[in-house]
Amino acid sequence: MAFPILSAILLLPVITLIVVMLLPAGRPDLVRWTCAVFSFVSVVFSIVLWVLYDSAAGGLQFQEIVPWVPSVGITYHMAVDGFGVALVMLNSIVYFTGVLTMWTLKERVKEYFAFMILLVVGVYGVFMVQDLFLLFFFYEIAVVPMYPLILIWGSTRKEYAAMKLTLFLLVGSALLFPALLAIYHVAGLNTFSMVTLQEHAFEIDFQRFVYPFVYLGFGVLAGMFPFHGWSPTGHVAAPSAVSMLHAGVLMKLGAFGILVVGIRLLPEGAVYWAPLFAGLAAAGVIYGAFVALRQTDFKFVIGFSSVSHMGIVLLGLNLGVLGVAGADAFNGAVFQMFAHGVMTALFFSIVGYIYDTAHSKTISDFGGLGSQMPRAVSIFIVAGLCGAGLPGLASFWAELLVFLAALKTFPLLGVAVIAGLVLTALYVLRVFQQAFFGPRNPRWEGLKDIGGWELLPRLILVAVLVYFGFYPAAMLNLIGSTTNILVEAF
Amino acid sequence: MEKALLFLPETFLLITTLAVFVGLMVRATAETCRYLAISGTSLALVTCIALLGMEGEPFFPGIYRVDLYSQLLKLLVLATLLLVLFMSGRPVTMRPDSWPELSFFLLPATVGMMMLVSATELLTLYLALELSAFPVYALVALHRGSRRCGEGAAKYMLQGMVASAVTLYGMSFLFGLTGTTYLSGIAAAAPGLAHQPLFWVGLLLTLGGFLFKLALFPFHFWAPDTYETAPHAVVTFIATASKAATIGVLCRVIALVVAGDGILDGEGLRFAFIIFGVAAMTLGNLAALVQRDLKRLLGYSAVAHAGYIVVGLQAFSHLGMTSVIFYTFGYLAMTYLCFLVVNEAAREHDGVPMEAVAGLWNRSPFLALCLLIGIFGLTGLPPTVGFIGKWFLFSAALENGQFLLVLIAALNSAIAVYYYLRVIRMAYLVESQDASPLRPAPLVVAGAAVASLVVLWMGIHPGTFWHVIEISTASLAAAF
Repeated sequence: MAFPILSAILLLPVITLIVVMLLPAGRPDLVRWTCAVFSFVSVVFSIVLWVLYDSAAGGLQFQEIVPWVPSVGITYHMAVDGFGVALVMLNSIVYFTGVLTMWTLKERVKEYFAFMILLVVGVYGVFMVQDLFLLFFFYEIAVVPMYPLILIWGSTRKEYAAMKLTLFLLVGSALLFPALLAIYHVAGLNTFSMVTLQEHAFEIDFQRFVYPFVYLGFGVLAGMFPFHGWSPTGHVAAPSAVSMLHAGVLMKLGAFGILVVGIRLLPEGAVYWAPLFAGLAAAGVIYGAFVALRQTDFKFVIGFSSVSHMGIVLLGLNLGVLGVAGADAFNGAVFQMFAHGVMTALFFSIVGYIYDTAHSKTISDFGGLGSQMPRAVSIFIVAGLCGAGLPGLASFWAELLVFLAALKTFPLLGVAVIAGLVLTALYVLRVFQQAFFGPRNPRWEGLKDIGGWELLPRLILVAVLVYFGFYPAAMLNLIGSTTNILVEAF
Repeated sequence: MEKALLFLPETFLLITTLAVFVGLMVRATAETCRYLAISGTSLALVTCIALLGMEGEPFFPGIYRVDLYSQLLKLLVLATLLLVLFMSGRPVTMRPDSWPELSFFLLPATVGMMMLVSATELLTLYLALELSAFPVYALVALHRGSRRCGEGAAKYMLQGMVASAVTLYGMSFLFGLTGTTYLSGIAAAAPGLAHQPLFWVGLLLTLGGFLFKLALFPFHFWAPDTYETAPHAVVTFIATASKAATIGVLCRVIALVVAGDGILDGEGLRFAFIIFGVAAMTLGNLAALVQRDLKRLLGYSAVAHAGYIVVGLQAFSHLGMTSVIFYTFGYLAMTYLCFLVVNEAAREHDGVPMEAVAGLWNRSPFLALCLLIGIFGLTGLPPTVGFIGKWFLFSAALENGQFLLVLIAALNSAIAVYYYLRVIRMAYLVESQDASPLRPAPLVVAGAAVASLVVLWMGIHPGTFWHVIEISTASLAAAF
C-alpha cells in the first residue's frame, strides 16, 4: 500500500495537538518551536502532495478507504482532486505563517496553539474527506475553536464578536443538518460517500427544495451577503493568526462546501437557484467594497474586503453552474479562494504587526507611516494592490476569469461587479493615502520597523502571491482538469 | 443454576445494600460506607461484564427478560453509579449526619433501575419503578437544611408520586382492555385494539411515569427546582443513571407494544411524542437562556435533551431505538462531566451561581478541560459524542421524512449554544476572586478521565459502540 499521505497530513496536526497538550505550560518557547517545526512539516507534505498529484489525469487521487460506521454507511474516505490539493496547500501556508505570526504571543500560549491546531485539523479534514458525514464533522470542528480563540485572545468587543460569530455559524449548521441527512435518506443507498451520491440522480423537485438549505448553510461561513454580519466583527476581534486562518481558510470552507455538496450532488438545484444567488453574490461584492470605503479601523477595512472578495468566489461558483463560461467561472472561483486566502492572511499578518507595535489600528491615528516603517508598509501595500487586482499578483487572474464569465453570462451584472473592483481600488488607496503617506505623525517616532525573523512569514506570503501572479499556469494546470470534469455536469 | 446467574449483578448489589445497611447500624463512617458501596458496585459491574451475551429469563416466563439490551443498560447504570460514588466523597451540602446514607440509598435505587430495564410485565415494571424512585425521594430531601431545598424535594416527591399514580392508572386501562399484565400479551392483543382510543390513552398514561423521570414536557416541572436544590451527588445520579433506566424502559415498551407485529399504526402516539418533544426542547432551551444558577441551567438543558431524545424515539424504528440508546450512553458521560466539575468547583455552595466556575482554567486546567468537553458535548459539537449522537437521532427522524422536525431540533441546538458558551466563557475568561488551586481527589480524577474518554472516543470512533448497540436493539426492534 502506498504511503497514506492524506492521512499523514490530517494526523500530523493531531499529533502536534497532543504533543502541545503534554508540554508543560511554563515553557511557551517549547510550544512555539514544536508548532513551528510540525507546521513546517505540514507545508512540506502539502508540497509533496502538489507535486505528486497527477494534474493531467485530474479527478480524485490518493484514495484511502476505511469503513468507519459500516451499518449506517459512514466511511473514512480520503481523496483529493485538484481543488483539494490547492486548498490543502493554502491551509498549510496559512497555518505555518500563522504560527510564526503569533511568535510574540505572551499569555496562555499553550492553550492558544492547542485551539488553533484543532481548527487546522478541521480544515484539513474538510478539504480531503469524501464522506458527507465526516465532511460535516470536520466542518464543525473547524468552526468550534473560533469561540475560545476570539474570546480569550481577542480585542475590540471580543465577547460580542465571538458569540455573534458562533451563533451565526451554528445556525448555518442547523440548516445543513436536515439537508445533509435528507440527501442520505432520499438517495437510499445507505452510504454517505459523496462519490456514490454524486452518481445518484436526485429528483429535480428534491434538488430544488434542498439546495437552498445547503447553499445558505455553507454560505453563512463563506461570508455570503446578506448573512455576512458575523464576519467583519469576528475578523476585527480575533488575534492576528486567527484572523488569518479565519478569513484565509475558514471562509473557504463555506465556498468549498457549496461546491462539493451543493453543486456536485445537487446540480439541477444549483442551476435553478443560480441566478438569484449570483445576484446576491454580486451585491456582496459591491456592498462589501462600499462599506470598506467608510471604515476607520484597518481590520474592518480588511474584514469588509473579505466579504467583497468572497462574493467573487460565490459569484464564480454560481456562474459556473449556469454553464455559459463554466470552466472560466469555476477556475476563477477556486483560484480566488486560494489567492484571497493568501492575500488576507498577509493583510492580517502585517496589520497584526502594526497593531502589536503601535497599539492602534485606527487609520486616522496614523499618517506618514511609510517613512517610519517602510518595510511593513511595503508589505501592506503588496496585499492591498493584490486586493485591487493588480496584474502580477495572484488575485488578478482569479478575478479576471470570474469577471469574464460574468460579462458573458449576465453582461449587466458583469459591468456592475467590475465597478465594484474600482471601489476596491478606492478603499485600498484611501488607506494608503491616510495611513502611510502624507506628513509624518510625530507620535510614531521611534517605532521599530519589521525585520529579522518577523519578516519571514510575511515574505513567504508575498512570494506566493507574486509566484502565482506571474505564473498562474501552475494553479490553472492543477485545477483545470478537475474543473473540466465538473463542467461536464452542466 | 444458570437462571440464577442471570440475576447475579442485581443480587450482588442487593447484598452490598445489606452490607452497607449493617454498616449504618454499627455507625460506620461515611467513607467506610462509600468504599463498601464502591467495592460492591465494582463486583456487580464485573459480573455484569462477564455475563454479557447471556440471555434468558431468571424467573417465571414473560416477567423478567435478560438480554444483550438489558445487560448493556445495566452496565451503563452500574458504571454510572460507580462514577457517582467516586465523586460523592465529603458531600458538604448534605446534612452531616446523613453522609453515610448517601451511599446506602443509591444502591437500592440502582437495583430498581436494573430491574426496570429487564421487566416485561406491568406489575414488575411498576415495582421496579417504585424501588428506583423512593430511595431518591429520600436523598433529595437530605439537604443540609436551607428552606429552598425543601421545595425542590417536595416537588420531586409529589410530582413523582403523581406520575407513578398516572402510570398505575394507565396500566389499569391496559389490563382492563387486554386482560393480561404481560407486555407480550398486550402486544398480541394490540392489533385488535388499535382502533380504540382508550388503548392509546392507556399506553400514554402508562408511559407518563417514565416521561416524568425523563423530564419531558409536560412532566418536566420538577427538573429545574430539583436540579437546583438537591445535593450535588444526588442530582448527578438523577440526571444520569435515572435517565438511562427510563429510556431503556421506554424503548422496550414502545418496541413491544406499538410495533407489535408491524401492522399497528402508532400515529397518534407519535403525534403526542412530537408535540411533547418540540415543546420540551423549545421550552427548555429558551428557559435556560436566562438562568443564572448553573445547576438550574443544566436542569433546563436536561428538559431540552429529553426533547432531542424523543426525536429519535418517535421514529419507532430500529435506527431510532439504536440512536436513542447510543445517545443515552454519550449523554450520561457528558452530563456526568458537567456535574462533576460543578461538584468540585462548588462543593461548599448550596446554590451554584455561574460564577462558581469562574477562573477554572487557572484553578484546575484539568477540570476546566473536562467542563469544556462536557459542555461541548451537550452543545452537540464535534469531536464529542454529542455531535454524532444528535446526527443519529435526527437521522432516524429523517428516515421517516420528518424534515421540519429535524430543522426545528437543529435550530434549537443552535439556540442552546448561547447559554452553553456562557458557561465556557465563565470558566475560561472570567477571573475568580478565589484563585486557590483545586485539587480533585484521585477517584474524582479517575471518574472525570473515564467520562471524558468515553465522550471523545464515542465521538471520534463510534463504530464499535454503535455496532454493539445495534445488535442489542435488533431483538427489540425485530417487529419494525
